[in-house]
Amino acid sequence: MAPLLQLLLRNGGFVTFLLVELASFAIMVNFEDRHEEIWANTTGILGGQALEKRQMATDYFSLYETADSLARIVDSLQARLSNARQMQVPVRDTFFLVNYDSLSKTDSVRRKTVRPQYEFITAKAIKNSIAGTSNWLIINRGKNDGIQPDMAVVSPEGIIGIVRHVSDNYALVMSVLHRESKISVALPRQKNAFGSLIWEGGNPNEMTLRYIPQHFIVQENEPVVTSGYSLMFPQGHPVGKVKGAPKADPENPYFLEIKVSLSQDMATVRDVSVIHNLFKAELDSLQSKISGNER
Amino acid sequence: MNGSSITSHILRFIGLVALQSLLLNQMTGTVGVYFNVLLYPLFILFLPLQLPTPYLVLLGFAVGIIVDAFVPSWGVHASAGAFSGFIRGFSLMPFAPKGGFSAKDPIFAPAHVGWQTFIQGSALFMGLHILWYFTFSYFAPVFGWEILKKTGAAWAFTMLFVALYAAMFNPKK
Repeated sequence: MAPLLQLLLRNGGFVTFLLVELASFAIMVNFEDRHEEIWANTTGILGGQALEKRQMATDYFSLYETADSLARIVDSLQARLSNARQMQVPVRDTFFLVNYDSLSKTDSVRRKTVRPQYEFITAKAIKNSIAGTSNWLIINRGKNDGIQPDMAVVSPEGIIGIVRHVSDNYALVMSVLHRESKISVALPRQKNAFGSLIWEGGNPNEMTLRYIPQHFIVQENEPVVTSGYSLMFPQGHPVGKVKGAPKADPENPYFLEIKVSLSQDMATVRDVSVIHNLFKAELDSLQSKISGNER
Repeated sequence: MNGSSITSHILRFIGLVALQSLLLNQMTGTVGVYFNVLLYPLFILFLPLQLPTPYLVLLGFAVGIIVDAFVPSWGVHASAGAFSGFIRGFSLMPFAPKGGFSAKDPIFAPAHVGWQTFIQGSALFMGLHILWYFTFSYFAPVFGWEILKKTGAAWAFTMLFVALYAAMFNPKK
């Protein structure tokens, strides 16, 4: 006790005052009911506010992880959606499509569980061009991530392109805004209306849909989706909507020429998914049996 | 500080604590809620002017905690007593003669500094003590107006009793 007193006296009145006030304060909030209650409320409020601020800061710093995790969830859901659509398998000897739940139902033809067909791989576009007639993107996934040539690249809003070349860590994607790009799409409101989507240059938000027969009555703003008649894009992925009234195709008057406004703004492509068709090798091998002239 | 002056301070300590606890605190309940007289800080005010601040703080705390024990209001008077011990030097500084208080002025009493200076100095000292006391007694800023009203009333009544006490006992040491 004596050394403490000496210390207090040596360090002047202020330290003594501070310590004695702290002691008084402790006595007050421990022995006086009203003071104890007010103190508990105040510290509760302040503590709650501090915790909330801390949580906000933690949330902010973990946004990247949250976004990454959400991108994975989106991929997983897209894969399930695409695979669920794919479960519409034709039943032998009929023209009807039968829906199959990819998780619980079985294919009545094969009598076994239907396997999923697509796998989505999250990626980010790190380079993109839209100004030329042959546009390309580079994504931050490559051979090491399971990316192979001829895989489709999509975003949740629309279609982006097709992987053409891969390095270990990156891939070169031929944009849909490329003169050689040709995507099989469908008009889901029409029955069996399939055609090819091409880009004729110019407006980067507009493509041309050809080979839809004249007898279809296509309305403006009708949705356009992928047809599923390719080994790359799954069925039903959004592409855009019909822009303006369709005209007769000047190159082939039996078909319509339809302008399509893309739902994905190609100038702002950032988060994309690369689609891996798990049966592609098998289907390629099957297709190779057909001779070149017959294809 | 000689033996007789220590005795004076001890007697003053006992007398003021008894007066505060046994009479003045009881009067609040009888007369009204705005009738508050805090006379025990006079013990701190009348401590020797040459006494170092840490002693003043500790003695202020001691007198306060004993008053607390009688009320009971644990810690509130102790806190105010320690505060008064700490600020006594600052509150009397404006009323010190040129060059500060000397050994000729053992305590801040009318017998040494004159009635006018004593009333002015004790008014400031008591005002600060009472304000601190009611602030910690209510312990929440929401009672700000009530704290100011009670401080004003208590300060006026207290100063009356301070003058009476000084006139009756005329402390010299």
